[in-house]
Amino acid sequence: MFDRHVNTQLASYLDGELPAPERQRIERHLSSCETCRIECDQVRTGLSMVHALPLASAPAAIWNAIEAATHQTHSQPAWFRYRIPALAAVLTVAIAAILYLTLGHRHQSNWDVVGLQGSTAVDSKPIRGTSTVKPGEWIETASSSSARVQIGAIGVVEVGPATRLRVTAIRPSEHRLALARGEIHAKIIAPPKLFFVDTPSATAEDLGCEYSLKTDEDGLGLLHVTLGWVSFQWKGLESLVPAGASCRTRPHTGPGVPYFDDAPEELIQALGTLAATNYAGSSLDVVLRDARVRDTLTLWHLLPRTESPDRQRIYERIAALSPVPTDVSRERALQLDPDTLARWREALAWTW
Amino acid sequence: MLPLSEREVSPEIIASCRTGDRDALRVLFDTYKDRVYSLSLYFFHGDESLAADVTQQVFLKVITNVDRFKGDAAFSTWLYRLAVNACQDAARRRKSGAIVADRARLEGFAASSSQEDDYTRAQNARCVRDAVSALPPKLRMAVLLRYFDELSYEEMAQVLHCSMGTVASRLSRGHKMLAERLKGVTGAGG
Repeated sequence: MFDRHVNTQLASYLDGELPAPERQRIERHLSSCETCRIECDQVRTGLSMVHALPLASAPAAIWNAIEAATHQTHSQPAWFRYRIPALAAVLTVAIAAILYLTLGHRHQSNWDVVGLQGSTAVDSKPIRGTSTVKPGEWIETASSSSARVQIGAIGVVEVGPATRLRVTAIRPSEHRLALARGEIHAKIIAPPKLFFVDTPSATAEDLGCEYSLKTDEDGLGLLHVTLGWVSFQWKGLESLVPAGASCRTRPHTGPGVPYFDDAPEELIQALGTLAATNYAGSSLDVVLRDARVRDTLTLWHLLPRTESPDRQRIYERIAALSPVPTDVSRERALQLDPDTLARWREALAWTW
Repeated sequence: MLPLSEREVSPEIIASCRTGDRDALRVLFDTYKDRVYSLSLYFFHGDESLAADVTQQVFLKVITNVDRFKGDAAFSTWLYRLAVNACQDAARRRKSGAIVADRARLEGFAASSSQEDDYTRAQNARCVRDAVSALPPKLRMAVLLRYFDELSYEEMAQVLHCSMGTVASRLSRGHKMLAERLKGVTGAGG
């Protein structure tokens, strides 16, 4: 009589995790199948092997670091603690705050610029070595050049080739650049909402992070975040982009829907099509089909950009991927109630 | 090896943590810190620095969000879900989900933690660490969660966002691979 192999159940059999009827079926199979019997011995050996691993003791310094970080975090404004749930943000902000306070934040009226390779100009004047730039002035790199701008005490911006970048504000509460074209890479160690980069179609607002941002002169751009979070905004529209995710921006429509860089290729392509068709059309089918648990980042951002019945379909897909919190009502989520959507994002962000 | 007892903290401790009681938070940290650290350490091939970072991140997340733990699942399930996510995030940041085992680091870790053990036992432990480190990440995480954290298959399914059948399959494959890799090194048969 045909009896299917039991190799995928051997661990649960040996761990005593199976109900009696299934356990008996496996025992019957093992008595007649040498292949599975050998495999069972292997799994048993593997199970016994891990007992050779000692439990390691966590270094005491971890608790000290946690105490220091939580002390700093508790001093952050309430809005930040509740808006951004991800640990990366909490941790990054805490560290940033410590560094910001440690390094000082003396007011400066200009920033240092260093040409790294090729030719770089500040306000149309070529620079040699280190120069300075002040509000209203442009930094321009040639096609094979790069430069570095020291953003006061809060961070560094690397300027890529063929880039036009203007300093628009140097104030204790606002450090702002305008990226007209090209690419920058920013590393910011400061509390959130101190560093901003405007592009023709969106503004990147630092929430304690490291990211790359590129754009052409029309405003077609791409944000890629490698640490922390960035709020990407345009005319009241906001996309929250965590580490490991990217977000495109387009002229006249602003930031699109963020996606994780490891998302299925077809999902990313379908998102591009959706953005070009004002988030309507059959490409949504592909996004819903291919979305994984962490792609609820993408699905959550699609909710306010779509209409019924597509919005309901997105809701159902998120609910299928991750249990909906009890304090998130379906009706209010579909009505785009800001508090409801924020609570849902808080819960979903554990998987982002 | 240290005993794996006291798996769960009491609901009273959790309730005190929700009020920001630092002593309760410390009890919670002390209860789970070694298991979270060990999970991270073996997941990241003995990288003590990265394991410490991940452990710190996990407990910061726990401390800042414990008021949102609803109690509708075991606290450890919630905690280990955070730990798995933190490991995945850290692996992603390192640009590789399947990090190549750093033999020197592992050997250093083995030596540092086994000075009082007999030579054979230390050798075996090192071989097992090597073999665990060489497992694919999903199998590695399943094996470590089951062993260090004694999660049930149901709890593991919740933590890993997969079915219990998938948990069983990953453990079976993982332990079989371990036995195959250790065959001839420690006398493991198969």
